[in-house]
Amino acid sequence: MAPILEITGVVKRFGGVAAVNRVSLALEPGRIHGLIGPNGSGKTTLFNCITGVETRDEGEIQFKGHRIDGMRPHQVFHLGIGRTFQVIRVFPELTALENLMVVTTSSYAPARQRAVELLSFVKLERLAHEYAGNLSYGQQKLVEFVRVLMTDPELILLDEPAAGVNRTLLNELLDAVRALRDRGKTVLLVEHDMKVVMGLCETVFVLDHGEKLAEGAPGVIQSDERVIEAYFGR
Amino acid sequence: MTRGLYAALAVVVIGLALYPMEATGYGIRFMLQLFMWIALAQSWNLISGLTGYVSFGHVAFFGMGAYTAGILIAKLGWPWLVASLAGGIMAMVLALVIGWPCLRLKGPYFAISMLGLNEVLRVAVSYYEGLTGGGNGLSLPTLYASVQIYYVMGLLALGVTALAYVIITSRFGLRLMTIREDEVAAEAMGIDTFRYKVYAFLLSAVAPGIAGGLAARDQGYIEPISVFPLITTITMIVMALFGGQGTIWGPVLGAVALFTLQELVWARFPYIHPLLFGAIIVAVVLMMPRGILGVLQQKYNLPRTI
Amino acid sequence: MIGQVIISGLLAGALYAMVALGLGLIFGVMRVLNVAHGPIMMLGAYTSFWLFHWLGLNPYLSLLVSMPALFLIGVALQRTLVSRVVDAPELSSLLLTFGVSIALVNLAQLAFTSDLRSIEYLTGSFVLGPFAFSKSRVIACGFAIVITVAAFLFLKSTRLGKAIRAVSQSREVAQVCGVNVQRIHLFAFGIASALAAAGGSLVAVMVAIQPEMGQVYTFKSFLVIVLGGVGNYPGALLGGLLLGLIEQLASLFLTTQINEAVAYILLVLVLLVRPTGLLKGRT
Repeated sequence: MAPILEITGVVKRFGGVAAVNRVSLALEPGRIHGLIGPNGSGKTTLFNCITGVETRDEGEIQFKGHRIDGMRPHQVFHLGIGRTFQVIRVFPELTALENLMVVTTSSYAPARQRAVELLSFVKLERLAHEYAGNLSYGQQKLVEFVRVLMTDPELILLDEPAAGVNRTLLNELLDAVRALRDRGKTVLLVEHDMKVVMGLCETVFVLDHGEKLAEGAPGVIQSDERVIEAYFGR
Repeated sequence: MTRGLYAALAVVVIGLALYPMEATGYGIRFMLQLFMWIALAQSWNLISGLTGYVSFGHVAFFGMGAYTAGILIAKLGWPWLVASLAGGIMAMVLALVIGWPCLRLKGPYFAISMLGLNEVLRVAVSYYEGLTGGGNGLSLPTLYASVQIYYVMGLLALGVTALAYVIITSRFGLRLMTIREDEVAAEAMGIDTFRYKVYAFLLSAVAPGIAGGLAARDQGYIEPISVFPLITTITMIVMALFGGQGTIWGPVLGAVALFTLQELVWARFPYIHPLLFGAIIVAVVLMMPRGILGVLQQKYNLPRTI
Repeated sequence: MIGQVIISGLLAGALYAMVALGLGLIFGVMRVLNVAHGPIMMLGAYTSFWLFHWLGLNPYLSLLVSMPALFLIGVALQRTLVSRVVDAPELSSLLLTFGVSIALVNLAQLAFTSDLRSIEYLTGSFVLGPFAFSKSRVIACGFAIVITVAAFLFLKSTRLGKAIRAVSQSREVAQVCGVNVQRIHLFAFGIASALAAAGGSLVAVMVAIQPEMGQVYTFKSFLVIVLGGVGNYPGALLGGLLLGLIEQLASLFLTTQINEAVAYILLVLVLLVRPTGLLKGRT
């Protein structure tokens, strides 16, 4: 099956440093992929390049066969790619419900209904009219998570979804991600929590210093010497 | 809004409508100017309060409207009402011309670019001396129309406030606010922030343009210093900030409070207005960033769309 | 003719660079756009004027007074006001410094009146072959160069200077390395104000002094920062020279009135094409 997202030779430099250095990878539709690597290896930068928050210096990014590099973030979003952020970026002065409703362009009533559904999905419906800024960390994370789902994107990029989240909430999140995959969605997540990655992802990519070090099934990656070296040094 | 508030508003509006019959000339001019400031502060609020893109050059639209109307009245004999509306339209055109390049810039850079706008316009006015009368100013044929202008200005103030109400209670307004809250996230969530900023900017230019035209007619005379003064922008900003930017009634409150204070208390000391306003801006930013209305909202748990 | 224009541009550019470096420091270290930068420069100019007027002090010597004085005022401003909005959204610091700037200008109007002042100190030109340059411009440029070089040496070699650069790059990392960020903020603002004051004192000999004289320098300093690259301190130098050159060249082809608009249009153009500046900079 043709990959849903294809990244070829992407380079992104900041000053003299290449944060992403000739990275190529392909995402299979309907699978959960993981992107791991030590801090500073370029994972979030890669996300930013895909979603248009940053413009890559070299290389191509194709989504469903069309080039998307150089597009603005809102265009990328409307093509069907949604993302969450490493640092939570809900809109603090909007309520949880409003956070979801600003996203879609469909009319008020269906939008509201879908927003309420999604909030119920993560059991936050009673907080719908609470300002997002007043919610707890975990609740905000959930809001950000379902916000991405408002327009039913085909590709979902999750940047450290497990960070700072307690066990119970985490399991709910992971179940939700698996449910998405079962419905045919493609997921790419950046994560530091190895248990999460190994338990959830079907394919794992490893970045180190901006370059792709390895790719493959979780078990293979775990025992790859280069990966171990990258994380723990010699 | 509750029934009671609607009723109160209706009473106020009717009262204001009947006011000119019993009012002195001074009273009419006072209210006329108050309406103008409400319209100006509210307009500034539409762009800066909602999107967080601070417009330091907003008086440019006022001046644009004044000169457009002034030229149409003085040189082409247009009736003042139509000329003022044309002033509003030209102000929108100016907003499009400036906004198109400048709103692509990030917030702080946009603010800087607006700082220089005043200067450019003043230069343009002196350059096109033949049309605008340059530094010597432009005189309009004499006409006493204060009462009519009072009503039109009042409608303008009402109109802009109604516009603010419609925007702030709609998803359009919510999207504008996301730009203020987190522009990167807003873009990532599919909001074309540039387009929304442009819309807000255009909408925020209309009323100042019309107000400029009306003010020109009322004064009977325009010159660059009188229609492009920095103090006008400063006053707009202080009023909106003080009352509560990003809210519906904040700018109204701020305009009423500060204009009244200005006329009744500080009028004797016009030469310290900028200092006072500067101090108020600093105080508001440090102590009540959401203005008076913000303080009330916090204290009495009022809804955001106030 | 062209040669004269180019050198004039460079002379003016050095001054722009020095003042802009100050603004760039504040922005680089604190991410604050100091709209009050111009008014601070204005205060420096007035300091030199009054010292000259009352004590007959050589305006160039008055640099020794205006720079430290405005350094202290800058520190005071930072300590009492600016420090409270450093972490707030950039909008707040913008409005705050805007408020401060209008207050300062008005204070100057109250204290000094809006009458135009000038320092009649140095007239005439240096003649060098086919070129003639006004003496005050050349000397101003000389001082600007010396002060700017000193500032760069300070940034490069001293501990404080390095700390300032570290905080500009990453506040968190600098903190982790034991840098007292609050102190750095104070110093940066103070130094920036001193640089602005120097600009004011030097300019005081050349132009009419009045309370609103600083506004245009605020704007031009922003332009220089943008031309040279935000956060790129050496870039400010190039940016300043570039601006000086462009202005002088423009004055050859355009009337003086349009000249003022040149800086503005240039700013918008550059920001559109390369938002991080012509040279390498950060967003």
